[in-house]
Amino acid sequence: MNGKTLMRTAGSAVALFVAATVLCGVVYPLVVTGVAAAAFPVQATGSIIEVDGVKYGSALVGQSFRDEGHLWGRPTVADATTFTGDDGQPLLWYGPENLSPASDAFAERVAERVAAVRAAHPDQGNAPVPSDLVTVSGSGFDPHISPAAAEYQVGRLAAATGRSEEEVRGIIRQCTEKPLLGAIGQSRVNVLKVNLMLDGIL
Amino acid sequence: MSATVGAALVQAAALVALVLACALPLSGYLVNVMEGHPTPARRLLGPVERVALRLVGVGAGSDAGASATPSAVPSAPAAPASGEAAGDPMGWKRFLASVLLFTAVGFAGLLAILMGQGVLPANPEGFPGLPFDTAFNLAASFVTNTDWQPVAGESSLSYFSQAVGLAVQNFLSPAAGIAVAFALMRGIAAPGTGTVGNFFADVVRAVLYVLLPLSLALALVGVWQGTPQTFQGYETVQLLEPVAVDADGNVVAADDAAAVQTVTEAVVPLGPQASQVSVKQLGTNGGGFNGANSASALENPTPLTNLLQCAAIPLLPFALVLAFGRMVGDRRQGRALMAAVLVLLAAGTATVVAAEFAATPQLAAGGAVYLGDLGQSAGNMAGKEVRIGVGESATWAALTTAIANGSSNASLEAMTPVGTLAPLVFIGLGEVVGGGAGTGLAGLVGFTVLTVFIASLMVGRSPEYLGKKIGPAEMRMATIAVVAPALVILAGATVLALAPAGAAATGEGGPFGFSELLYAATSAGGNNGSALAGLDANVPLVNYVLGAEMLLGRLVPIAAVLALAGSLAERAAQPAGAGTLSTASPLFVGLLLVIIVLVGALTLLPALALGPVAEAVAGAL
Repeated sequence: MNGKTLMRTAGSAVALFVAATVLCGVVYPLVVTGVAAAAFPVQATGSIIEVDGVKYGSALVGQSFRDEGHLWGRPTVADATTFTGDDGQPLLWYGPENLSPASDAFAERVAERVAAVRAAHPDQGNAPVPSDLVTVSGSGFDPHISPAAAEYQVGRLAAATGRSEEEVRGIIRQCTEKPLLGAIGQSRVNVLKVNLMLDGIL
Repeated sequence: MSATVGAALVQAAALVALVLACALPLSGYLVNVMEGHPTPARRLLGPVERVALRLVGVGAGSDAGASATPSAVPSAPAAPASGEAAGDPMGWKRFLASVLLFTAVGFAGLLAILMGQGVLPANPEGFPGLPFDTAFNLAASFVTNTDWQPVAGESSLSYFSQAVGLAVQNFLSPAAGIAVAFALMRGIAAPGTGTVGNFFADVVRAVLYVLLPLSLALALVGVWQGTPQTFQGYETVQLLEPVAVDADGNVVAADDAAAVQTVTEAVVPLGPQASQVSVKQLGTNGGGFNGANSASALENPTPLTNLLQCAAIPLLPFALVLAFGRMVGDRRQGRALMAAVLVLLAAGTATVVAAEFAATPQLAAGGAVYLGDLGQSAGNMAGKEVRIGVGESATWAALTTAIANGSSNASLEAMTPVGTLAPLVFIGLGEVVGGGAGTGLAGLVGFTVLTVFIASLMVGRSPEYLGKKIGPAEMRMATIAVVAPALVILAGATVLALAPAGAAATGEGGPFGFSELLYAATSAGGNNGSALAGLDANVPLVNYVLGAEMLLGRLVPIAAVLALAGSLAERAAQPAGAGTLSTASPLFVGLLLVIIVLVGALTLLPALALGPVAEAVAGAL
């Protein structure tokens, strides 16, 4: 292979890189964005739940709930230093826990969470705590909990909000999604939606 | 085996069957588009292809136009104008020079974008340019189809860096891999011509006919299901339960005595996510738009997206293995390689699934935590998402490491010791069990040539594969292709473990800390990109070592494979005789499996014993 062929090959490499950058890096994402904006405007902009002009969150991003009258989600490892708002105020964001489930540190965290959950749910006595209530998810902002974890909290929610247990279960049912075709994925309860309904916002 | 493990394995088997059912027709389509045969897609996109080919300097060429109307064109006068069958075919040296130059151009372009993002458009969050070591690592990572990420995308990369920088390489790096695989297949099938095809035509065709249409379809399903796709800045939302930060910036309860400032709002990262997530999955890339990858409900919102993204991981590698049989004119050869892949995949998947359902005593907390399956997913939910559950997270972990994808829908760090061991072994075996797009098939053929050589020696025959004699030159190249990734991995792990900065980067010390380093070195050298996230990867030493590993782990085997393709292409095919070793028999597949496992075990067992094995033993004591 001589120098001339090498130069020609380099020219081809540059031309292909530039052409691909235009096609795959500009045209392609803009086409997807255009179709998304026309066909799925809510999903394309983050599935934000907005009521009377107030944005209460994304249906796909979990928040931390510890009030008596709220359904609790999965434990979070929150961070307020990564993002700041327009006025410099700290914004909350979440990350994963990154602990091996075979480590002593993990065992201690689980024991602490079990104790905290049981203390808030005296009606459940020593019943085993559903695992998702004491483990951080992969993203750290899982928007869902399992039906078992929601059912575990029904007694407390009914007492704290003055509703009957059946009313609370009705709200949870409305915010529960089933597995695809009954087998793919899991049944899941959207925690933010339940709490917006418990607060009478939704 | 419990019922939950059994059900999860049945579901995993159904998923793989579904992928195979799609890969079979896709393999025929791949051969047609890559070899310039007429297809309905070519009638539609042919004009774009011809413009692109002219642009990259591949003669007016390709036989696409000519063969679309085979009977109407008299063959003799058409020949000089339309050139050779694949339009300006290259010998292996020019093909390799093209791969290297194209990788270098992509690397330089991506490095410039990442370091200059502060002054480039589409940066609503105002992220500054990346420092050199981070940009070096990320650029090496994405041009080599590794997609290891030292920083989280949502907190460091602009929309421009993501869509115009990283996503472009998400198309080009698998396309280059597919080109290499086709060069190898052409070399084996060539009747002694010595040429292996045109690299630039291959990349154009792989992007235009395969990666772009599939990615577009998957991206639109993603947005429909909830994945963001916008160039607007991030959303700010009101918290129902405000919290506070203390003087050190740690988040505390709103009524905590140490609170110095309340936090009433949260951020929702947006961006052109759907368009990038789809090609991340299809092109064996694996680099998420967000740090949480497909564990994030933004990237992977529903069981449907999880199913499709998981199926997208092995689709192209499987189709390429099946295309191998078509290209060499004997489909049994492709099926034999596929069988070897499926056996290894089944063993690894069953291991991860069983380990994750078994969970750990630390999680069971003496029975205080419910790990059954009534109203929830059974097993180890640490690091897993409720909508996905344990079975589908474990299946994904096996697939994403067997295939050199590296995306994740759960935290690998939060998996059980055995659950992390199987993925580590998959990556450490090299790109064999499916592997990366193209590079996986190349690795598998490298092992097959090695097996042919050993098997022939055992029965005292002169080694040949698919009618081509395997001589010393071929053996040297096959051996380099097979052992280079392991050598790169072990060299990288050694440097990281010995350097103080490497040890300091681990999240936990001891065997687990070594596992983190070993996993990172393996992930980089094996061009996988998945991570045990406890490692503080964004420090200069780690960035440089892993970046170098990624480049060597990709380019050295590619060079060896192309040299192998070139020397096979020069050999005339000889007819199979009575003494020819069958390379499509179950016996041969069994021997191939033994060789793959032996080579993998010999190179990696000592290192594994210091990390995950020690961890599992210590946990059991």
